[in-house]
Amino acid sequence: MNFDLDKELEEYSKKVREFSLKEFGNDVASKYDVEEKYPDELRLKALKEGIIDFSNPWKTMIGIEEMCRVDPGMGISVTVPYFGAEVLMLHGSDYLKENYLGKVAMGEKIMGLGVTEPGGGSDVAGLKTVARKEGDKYIVNGSKMFITNGTIADFFVMLARTSPPDDPKKRHRGLSVLVVERGFKGFASNKLTGKLGVRATNTGELILNNVEVPAKNLVGEEGKGFYYIMEFFNISRIFVAAQSIGIAQGVLDRTTEYLKKLEKEGEYVGEERKFKLAEIATRVEASRLLMYKAASFLFNYNPNPILTSMAKGYASETASFAAETAMEITGQIGLNSEIERFFRDSKIMEIWEGTSEVEKIVISRMMLKGDKSE
Amino acid sequence: MNEQAELMRDTVKEFADKNLKDLALKVEREGIPDAVKEKILEQGFVGSNLPVEMGGAGLDSLSHRLMLFELAKVSPSVAAYVFFHNDVVLKQLSSGNKKDLIQSVISGKDSYALSFSRLSGEKIEDGSNGAIRRALNEKANRYIELDASGTIFAGEGKAEPVKNFKPLGLRGMGVCDFLPSSKEECGTKEDLENILAVSSGDIAALFLGIAEGAVDKAIEYTNVRKTFNEPLKNYEPVAFRIAELKSELEMLKFVLFDEGSDEIRMLMLKDLSASLSRKATKYALQFHGGYGYLEDFGVEKFYRDSVALNAIIYRPVEDKRILASKIYFGKSGFI
Repeated sequence: MNFDLDKELEEYSKKVREFSLKEFGNDVASKYDVEEKYPDELRLKALKEGIIDFSNPWKTMIGIEEMCRVDPGMGISVTVPYFGAEVLMLHGSDYLKENYLGKVAMGEKIMGLGVTEPGGGSDVAGLKTVARKEGDKYIVNGSKMFITNGTIADFFVMLARTSPPDDPKKRHRGLSVLVVERGFKGFASNKLTGKLGVRATNTGELILNNVEVPAKNLVGEEGKGFYYIMEFFNISRIFVAAQSIGIAQGVLDRTTEYLKKLEKEGEYVGEERKFKLAEIATRVEASRLLMYKAASFLFNYNPNPILTSMAKGYASETASFAAETAMEITGQIGLNSEIERFFRDSKIMEIWEGTSEVEKIVISRMMLKGDKSE
Repeated sequence: MNEQAELMRDTVKEFADKNLKDLALKVEREGIPDAVKEKILEQGFVGSNLPVEMGGAGLDSLSHRLMLFELAKVSPSVAAYVFFHNDVVLKQLSSGNKKDLIQSVISGKDSYALSFSRLSGEKIEDGSNGAIRRALNEKANRYIELDASGTIFAGEGKAEPVKNFKPLGLRGMGVCDFLPSSKEECGTKEDLENILAVSSGDIAALFLGIAEGAVDKAIEYTNVRKTFNEPLKNYEPVAFRIAELKSELEMLKFVLFDEGSDEIRMLMLKDLSASLSRKATKYALQFHGGYGYLEDFGVEKFYRDSVALNAIIYRPVEDKRILASKIYFGKSGFI
């Protein structure tokens, strides 16, 4: 068993780190954080310099980790314009790939995923947005909440109900995915401000009032939307694990530096703080190995949702554990450093792409059905 | 609970309901409004625990804890503003018998910026212009600082806003870079440590107020928020965590509200309260899901404030060492 990354990935990881350190140091990241502003110029620069590389999912995962290690808000902002792309890659028609996905890959457009609703959250199948078929178009009514890129995306891969479920207990049936453009009549969005963290990322609320969507914007087959989205979450959760590990590693780097400096200056450190550092370091390693295992299944076209949920759930809890513990270790110095921003950024990891509770439901439900994490 | 304490609790509850509840979000976004500060002064909260001969109201320690607890439940920033002035500034001024300066604080003429980064290790470097960087309280006209040599200085000066920085916690107080125009020695690090040691009950009151504020929010939300067609409260992991948090909270409040609690029990209480506040605020945010991540819902502030307060005034190493030395009847836990 070899735990080293291959040469290509090693070099890519180094390149991403150098780019991140050069482009979004603390001063830049602080500014975007305070102003709650999306760094669009950084998105284009990252694309131009080959930082965004879709040729290999391992690169995507490792790149996300490295960027979030430097700054979570900025790192996520660079990688999130493609959010939901996998749904189109796997199920979109040639028309959708060419007209939407292709333009995102070229940096001409930004996309988003429209799944969560105001009263929905974890209960995806309970959504209320309706898409009624009329001739060669769908008429969409409803609203979406906490949508990443909500007020900057040009289009959204959106989940809506196209037919009532044949059985009230099987609400996941009758849902479909549509590509909805911001420019379609009846579409409106509001920016959500005052987030605890990841404030450089854009988050919005979408309002859909009789939005006319061409039937050719249906992704895959009608009625299969729920499965497509769950399949997508099984992919995106790996990338949230990478965000989380990036945060935890970033916190670990900074806390280690702080304690080294104290020791060098002859200040008291004490075993208690050193043990806490050791706990963070151990959890970061364990999270990363779990993510690699889950990714090795997923990237070899054999996804294992138990492993994916374990990786996402554990890594996200590690991110907030690391950030909280780092705040305890560093006290007022941490309060006035990047660590406090990492602390604020970390908490969303346990909420988005399936809360920690949802991950535990997935794991336990599948294990009780006889599925395994191997 | 004695009559004075009960009266105090009712008064502060009523005050917080009437004057703070609806403004709690504004406090976070814009700082404590001057009108609120004036009302706090009118009520006599600032200086309330100072002996009458020093110009205070001579409030007993239990009543003072209750006051801080009730304020922190609604606005930790407002509670911290009162705490820092009562427990740190006024006690320090009082030890130097500076009655004029005390009166200026009680009347609202003076408000202090505080800088105690040295308490938790290295000091935050001063600015090139000599400004005390990242001092707590952005609307201060005076300051009190523990400097790198372990001396406490106080004096006048000017608070400058900090660019591109939003403090993690106690945003109602805000932070500033404070440019001193005068400097007077007024104590040592040891004095400050002694002040904080006897303030354990008050610090515990802040932590428990934050914890109860967050848990109340979580109970309210999980009662009405439905997922998979069921209120969140019907799910074991939610209901059981809330039950655990509430149990811990009630047990700790029992000690907080006990008139007879001595200094060591208060130190134990502070340690457990700090830990509970971190746990309770985190769960409260988590149970709110994405909404908890937005300041509008008023729950993330408890999470931030709990951690910030920990960083500013909680000293786990020193406090645990004192507790351990009581258990072992001698020096322990120093390696």
